[in-house]
Amino acid sequence: MTEAEKETGREKRYGMVIDLDKCTGCGACMVACMAENNVTARPDETDKRLSITWMRVYAFTNGKDFPDARICYLPRPCMHCAGKGGHGHSPCVSVCPAVATDYNFETGIVSQIPTRCFGCRYCMAACPYHARYFNWFDPVWPKGLEMAINPDVSLRMRGVVEKCSFCFHRYQRAKDKAFYEKRAEIEEAEYQTACTQACPAGAIAFGDLDNEKHAVYGLSRKQPGRHVFRLLERLGTNPKVYYATSHDWVRNAADRTVNDEKAAR
Amino acid sequence: MLDKAISGSRTYYMWLAGLLGVIGVGFGCYLYQLTNGLGVTGLSRDVSWGFYIAQLTYLVGVAASGVMLVLPYYLHNHKVFGKITILGEFMAVAAIMMCGLFVLVDLGQPMRALNIILYPTPNSILFWDMLVLNGYLLLNLVIGWSVLQAETKGDTVEKWVKVLIYISIPFAISIHTVTAFLYAGLPGRHFWLTAIMAARFLSSAFCAGPAILLLIILFLRKAVKFEVKDEAVRSLAVIITYAMIINIFFLGLEFFTAFYSQIPGHMHSFIYLYKGLDGHGKLVPWMWASSILAVFCLALLIPPRFRRNEKLLPVALVSLVAATWIDKGLGLVVAGFIPNPLDHVTEYAPTLPELAISLGIYAIGALVVTVLYKIAVEVKKDALDHH
Repeated sequence: MTEAEKETGREKRYGMVIDLDKCTGCGACMVACMAENNVTARPDETDKRLSITWMRVYAFTNGKDFPDARICYLPRPCMHCAGKGGHGHSPCVSVCPAVATDYNFETGIVSQIPTRCFGCRYCMAACPYHARYFNWFDPVWPKGLEMAINPDVSLRMRGVVEKCSFCFHRYQRAKDKAFYEKRAEIEEAEYQTACTQACPAGAIAFGDLDNEKHAVYGLSRKQPGRHVFRLLERLGTNPKVYYATSHDWVRNAADRTVNDEKAAR
Repeated sequence: MLDKAISGSRTYYMWLAGLLGVIGVGFGCYLYQLTNGLGVTGLSRDVSWGFYIAQLTYLVGVAASGVMLVLPYYLHNHKVFGKITILGEFMAVAAIMMCGLFVLVDLGQPMRALNIILYPTPNSILFWDMLVLNGYLLLNLVIGWSVLQAETKGDTVEKWVKVLIYISIPFAISIHTVTAFLYAGLPGRHFWLTAIMAARFLSSAFCAGPAILLLIILFLRKAVKFEVKDEAVRSLAVIITYAMIINIFFLGLEFFTAFYSQIPGHMHSFIYLYKGLDGHGKLVPWMWASSILAVFCLALLIPPRFRRNEKLLPVALVSLVAATWIDKGLGLVVAGFIPNPLDHVTEYAPTLPELAISLGIYAIGALVVTVLYKIAVEVKKDALDHH
């Protein structure tokens, strides 16, 4: 069997590696995500607890005074948890009573089907990453902005839950193109998320975590002198978003439950 | 039998009209929520379930209370409960109806609610909760009605009804167990992630539910001369006392595990509830009120001298209901979200429309209880006159 044949039909595990040392907290990923995925903004967005941000940049500090004060930014998309053993037992998928969210074994992406969701918000209670957002109000586009709606992404209505899809529509586009060109597989560059492409610092890498040729393959594995970790790893949710940093305090602050432990390299 | 519900005194009609008024206001507020979205509530990204779901949790307990009458009567032949089991069954009917309504008003897209039946999802506990709650509603409706009908005719209960009664006993346990599983199986929510959750739910259900029932019985005895033997009141009070002691004991077990182990995740929610966390402590006065009321009601319930005192018993029961309602109807659901898994504290308080809708649902429950109890009481009076 040639390498290309081995690749054909193999289940992919799309994931992300975010370099926290490169992230400047500019928020370009958040903007790109909202534009790409038709996320609306309400006239008054001061109450962030009601906002919808599929990709959200958190800021945290080391809690020290000048000159030792440090700040770190942490972009947080949906983690696309595979559950223990990768059997698709994500916290949200297992609780949904409406078949509105599903684990796709072909790509490893956790989907969200807004037209099925009846808004019980059980998945929000189950998701430990707060990656799920509820439409508390009717989505309204400021005049003129409705012209910029992305036709590839379905719009959501009031009263349903939505979340990051790893730009699944881009995957479908790439697959269509490959099919048309009589190729079975798509290239790494053909399927990239909007946030990855928008990041001016190149902090976000995206690809198949199991494919040696993809950047994320190496980045998501152990590197000397660097912490490569996932959020709330101990819950056993098996997320597909990795974070990398060479600072001990960043690694600790990103997971307050290990705050009191020595960071081990 | 239904005719008995539409003939009553002036006070009876005034009470019904008052309830309808409250229901009207609640319904108006619900229309407002339906057109504007759940944003009119105090819920948010961090606390995504609140007052509605908390009331569901409390009322499931009230619904399960009927079994505390049915079980002693049918399994242990505790005869004095014979006359009042029907009240427990009808209470369950009203409570489950309220549960259903509280879920419905909490849905973002209630017009899609039937999807839960049309596309079954055995992986979701919510699906099972829907099954057991509706099953229990149906059982109690059929049982209550058949028992009452038999009584009007002076017959004994038919065999198939008896079978349903026996089935209803484990069903009552199941509604509370499954509702506890809604919470107890979620990763990252330490406060809920406890094996004793279902047991805690059951113990609080078996004191709070019968307490409400006993309060109504005492009222009926005074107001409409509904005949209930002192012995029945006393044995129900004993059941309530034991259940409340067990309830407090279970809460104590939670405290021990959290604070002796000193595991931060296990302590945080308790600290938030009883002391305040990171400067947030909206629920602290409530929780302490709950604790004081719990101790107070036990002080009145445990000594037989006080428990048998007709004047003190209602006081004890009201404080018990208040203590358990604060614990489950306010603290339990909200504290599960605080602090969130990323260790941030976002507080929650219900808004006015949210409270008005909830009050409207409680009024619907009161209406159902009133009508069903009216029928039951009249039927029993008639039966007494005939024999």
